[in-house]
Amino acid sequence: MLKDITLGQYVPGNSPVHRLDPRTKILGASLFIVLLFLAKGLPGYLAVTAFSVLVVGLSSIPLSYLLRGLRPLLFLLVLTVGLQVFLTPGTPIWHWGPLVATREGVSLGIFLSYRLVLLVFVTSLLTLTTSPIALTDGLERLLQPFKRLGVPAHELAMMMTIALRFIPTLLEEADKIMKAQMARGADFETGNPLQRARGLVPLLVPLFVGAFRRADELAMAMEARCYRGGEGRTRLKQLRFAFVDLGALVAVTLLTASVVWLRLAWPAASWLGPLGG
Amino acid sequence: MGLTHRYDATREDLALDQVGLTVREGEFVAVLGHNGSGKSTLAKHVNALLLPTGGTVWVGGWDTREQRFLWDIRRTAGMVFQNPDNQLIATTVEEDVAFGPENLGIPPAEIRRRVDEALAAVGMADFAQRAPHLLSGGQKQRVAIAGILAMRPRVIVLDEPTAMLDPSGRREVMQTVQRLNREEGITILHITHHMDEAVLADRVLVMEAGRLVLSGTPREVFSRVEEVKALGLDVPQITELAAQLHAMGLPVPKDVLTVDEMVTALCPSSSTT
Repeated sequence: MLKDITLGQYVPGNSPVHRLDPRTKILGASLFIVLLFLAKGLPGYLAVTAFSVLVVGLSSIPLSYLLRGLRPLLFLLVLTVGLQVFLTPGTPIWHWGPLVATREGVSLGIFLSYRLVLLVFVTSLLTLTTSPIALTDGLERLLQPFKRLGVPAHELAMMMTIALRFIPTLLEEADKIMKAQMARGADFETGNPLQRARGLVPLLVPLFVGAFRRADELAMAMEARCYRGGEGRTRLKQLRFAFVDLGALVAVTLLTASVVWLRLAWPAASWLGPLGG
Repeated sequence: MGLTHRYDATREDLALDQVGLTVREGEFVAVLGHNGSGKSTLAKHVNALLLPTGGTVWVGGWDTREQRFLWDIRRTAGMVFQNPDNQLIATTVEEDVAFGPENLGIPPAEIRRRVDEALAAVGMADFAQRAPHLLSGGQKQRVAIAGILAMRPRVIVLDEPTAMLDPSGRREVMQTVQRLNREEGITILHITHHMDEAVLADRVLVMEAGRLVLSGTPREVFSRVEEVKALGLDVPQITELAAQLHAMGLPVPKDVLTVDEMVTALCPSSSTT
């Protein structure tokens, strides 16, 4: 049952989006998220939508993968729409008992949830097209300048790498412990949630003890292989900032400029209600 | 003065008690002993993971207690541990092999070359892009050995590298180790429970309660069947058989180590075939 957990939902591929430097993708995605909240008015939304469609198209990631990312968010989306529709003051269009839906509420709800959807699309696109190692590498190098401020860039990246390396190992071990406990009559599958949670204790304790033992041995193995922190370390794989990366960053910058311009040029986009940030 | 190590200063017992040992360059030494005999502790002294409480460890002219030689020592004397899962760090095989050279600050192009060489040397070149957790135990240990090789060591210390492997995995690892010793001239200090692995060595050391109690070629050590058994260890099955036959008065030498030798001893005519 633990086999079903997939981690780092990376879909290997060779699309232009896959080939981008991870740093470009991380920067681009972060900028885009900010943009989503800056976008205002129909033209602004059209601009971010057009950009999302373009990137998703280039990535050759099946749309179903992106939609699957929305599933856990469904509840949040419904809640957002519901709250906005009924709690925004304005022209009433429909009411159900004491709840009054307003025209402003409806448009606000739709646009807010649309933002959320785009946000999920773009961030999942980042993890779908970037291998976990590339992602950690990219993060480490992006954080490098902040090292002086005390950001442990290398340590963070090393922790992520080790976590990624050991998640499958620990899952395997959990599976083994579970089977061993089940062979001795432990029950992980029936009972109310509280009972089931209590049933997990005999699984978690050995798993944790095992993880600490592993950590200890791993630390020794790392030291034996001359590990002494990030100082003076080189890397097998160098990240290369290529021409496409420049192109991608220019595209995102242009998008930023246009969204900001649209926001300034239509200061009174009243025909769409109180949209935008 | 011999090498001494005490884990806990408040206790009397020593993990290593006056061990005197010299390993020559290019030698293949196997260390035997049952659990708690101090063989692992001895291994960890070779690359300064542990420092002696008394005595001195010299690795190629460096004293392991000198902090400034620490990284030279660890690069020169690589170590392979028992649990293959707990010594692989990266998410792909090649990244893991690159870990040591990366720590040494070697330029990327050179790391690339070393990784490819090391993986080829252990026969894992085809697995460069694989995730470590999808490999078999023997393959993982070979990757671990490659990770050491990429640092260009002169000594490899193997601390029970085959204890968690199945017979085929053990064979893979031992063949790799033997080849590195013979072809690359790398000094091997192999710690093991398996007598048939010790037979492959140039010299066998037996430890007991932190002391070095027997030392010699596999033939010398294993022909002392009674002594070895008294230490709670076994001799290779075929050697034991030879000793029993010898005791019954059959014309079989006591120091037979392999099945082939036994065949030759029993029917001398068959040796020509």
